[in-house]
Amino acid sequence: MVANLLIYGLVNSVVLMLTALGFSLTFGLSGVANFAHGGLYLLAGFLAWIFINSFGLPAALGMILAVIVVGILGALIYRFILMPVRGIVLSEVISTFAVGVAILEFFRWKGFVTYDFSLPVLVQGSVKISGVSIDYQRLLIIAIGLALALLLWFFTHHTRIGLALRGMSQDEYTALSVGIESDWAGMLSLALGAGLAGVAAVVILPLGIISINMGYDVLLIALAVTVLGGLESTTGLVVGSFFVGYAMVITSTYLGPQWGEVVYLGAIVLVLAVKPSGLFGKSKELEERV
Amino acid sequence: MKKRIPVLVALFLSLSLLVSLAGCGQPAQSTAQNKIVLGVPTALGTVEGKDSLNSVNMAVDEINAAGGVEVGGKKYQLSVVSIDTREAEAGIPVNDALTAVDKLISQNKPNAIVVGAFRSEVLLASMDLVAKYKIPYITSIGMAPDYEKKIGENYDKYKYFFRMGLNSTYLVDYLNKTTGYIGKNFNFNKVYFMYQDVAWAKGTAAGVAAWAKSNGWTIVGQDSYPTGASDFSSSLAKAKAGGAQLIVPIFDMPQAGVLVKQAKSMQVPALLEGFISPVSAGNAWTTFNGEIDGFVNFVYEAGPIPLKNIPKSAAYNDAYAKKYGEDARVKLAGHGPGPAYDSVYVLVDAIKRANSLDSGNIVSALEKTDYDGVIGHIKFSKNHQVIYGENAKETASGLAFQWRAGKRVVVFPADAAESQIQLPQQ
Repeated sequence: MVANLLIYGLVNSVVLMLTALGFSLTFGLSGVANFAHGGLYLLAGFLAWIFINSFGLPAALGMILAVIVVGILGALIYRFILMPVRGIVLSEVISTFAVGVAILEFFRWKGFVTYDFSLPVLVQGSVKISGVSIDYQRLLIIAIGLALALLLWFFTHHTRIGLALRGMSQDEYTALSVGIESDWAGMLSLALGAGLAGVAAVVILPLGIISINMGYDVLLIALAVTVLGGLESTTGLVVGSFFVGYAMVITSTYLGPQWGEVVYLGAIVLVLAVKPSGLFGKSKELEERV
Repeated sequence: MKKRIPVLVALFLSLSLLVSLAGCGQPAQSTAQNKIVLGVPTALGTVEGKDSLNSVNMAVDEINAAGGVEVGGKKYQLSVVSIDTREAEAGIPVNDALTAVDKLISQNKPNAIVVGAFRSEVLLASMDLVAKYKIPYITSIGMAPDYEKKIGENYDKYKYFFRMGLNSTYLVDYLNKTTGYIGKNFNFNKVYFMYQDVAWAKGTAAGVAAWAKSNGWTIVGQDSYPTGASDFSSSLAKAKAGGAQLIVPIFDMPQAGVLVKQAKSMQVPALLEGFISPVSAGNAWTTFNGEIDGFVNFVYEAGPIPLKNIPKSAAYNDAYAKKYGEDARVKLAGHGPGPAYDSVYVLVDAIKRANSLDSGNIVSALEKTDYDGVIGHIKFSKNHQVIYGENAKETASGLAFQWRAGKRVVVFPADAAESQIQLPQQ
């Protein structure tokens, strides 16, 4: 039972991390809370399904294309929806939320409510680890999730573009004074965040079937994990995901699955009450001390 | 101006959302003269709701093509008005669904309502609202037994309400019978229950668990999952560790399809028998990459699968494929479509016998229904629930099938069975 808990706790944690990665990255790099995240996640899933089943593309190609299209859409959302309201936080939240809901409800309106929307797993079969059976797709999720987290940390801390984006998020006027264009940074961060939502969708959705309400759940999970870890912190995201992921699995095992879902919502309330900037957040830390 | 366009787009999207949330998704039609109007207020965004509406429309088209309905020497055509109550969607309160029902009735003045509420919570809450209008209401999706209990307790107020679909009590009875068969034939006595945290599923699981306990089964565990949950590893691990030989899952949420796949990948050596809606349709084998082999799933009411003991079920399937395509027929939901189709015919039969469009007369005629339909033989109980059983010549019937090598093999009831339940190869 302990081995099972450790392995499936790890899977659950990485699924949460992958789900929230795009949301956290966009906020960390541009300060935009992209509430269209759930809509973009689901859009990537449905697009991949359409590319594979309607256009007959190979599964991997269909999935890559879906990620690219959703990434481009992220940039367009910034250009046409967010740019005019940039800096007005409430308007940013309302407009991105409206876009996300419009995407989800568009698919509902078009009849994507049946039970036949599923993506193929990239690797079939399963393996036993310490006596616990686990399928290759879940192992792939762990590998991709951890690799992406590392890659993003490297990108934001050790590349010129990543450093420029972080500079912009820390102080827009200072960044502008050294030649970093804020709208370019915003577009890039939205594109990257949307693309990451797409990656999460095409690796996680093959575990089950695609249903529209998942889009709303994804947004909630992304919010919970990033608020817990600290909105702009990659380390916080990883720690937050593992904290919530393992807490959910332990609670589900010993108290019952109905309590597992309460954990991440309870975590938001608790962290906001005790440390509003999150476990590793810096943005409001000074205000909190004052 | 240029900068205002995106703001306007965002505003438009927000307004579109508000409009759609208000339950205005489907514009209602106006009532014409010489028409008998049937109202269909249900969750049209669900597979069950959509397929039920299709079945109602199909029955209406068939009746109209055959000349319509003659009442008091006057010919009437049937027409359908529908509204999406959205009650199955997250965050839609019961009150919003009731507003949609009220809108449909007050604007279109239907002569009767068929299909009705999707969620039992909405079904029970809508009884008082619909009772005001005194129109016959034949529901086919909501399953709470409290529905007929209310009818029995206050007949004069609720006599307009009937149920064509299966209720939870009958589902428990069916599950008890198949569970008993499994216990007896495979010498199983350890069971694990996994169910969705909604009224009908909890009630069903509790009913079967009570039966299992009093029939010598050891209940290894019982877990309820919130709607939307998509990881079942903790329960499956406990079932495996506890030596459960049978797992009874009861879910109507899309994410539950993961359960059967996850049980396979975790190599849980137990037979799965119960109800998981996404694993019910004929194309589920492809959807789940064949990882559902051996799963015994219930179809609540006959209809979606042609049965050898119900000739009308084959005719219904042929007609559905002709009207909506073979692809749509294969995907028919396991709950709702058969009763929805029969509701129209049973209602028309009652109107003809009553020779009147007066609700009171129709209700009296409905109570005397004795009709062979797609779901079997239809008769209402004293409290207006269609009587379900195992002999389709005498009662309406549900069925269970087992997934085997890509096919749905009917295993229950004996009258309709093509084979017995078999243990899947590990």
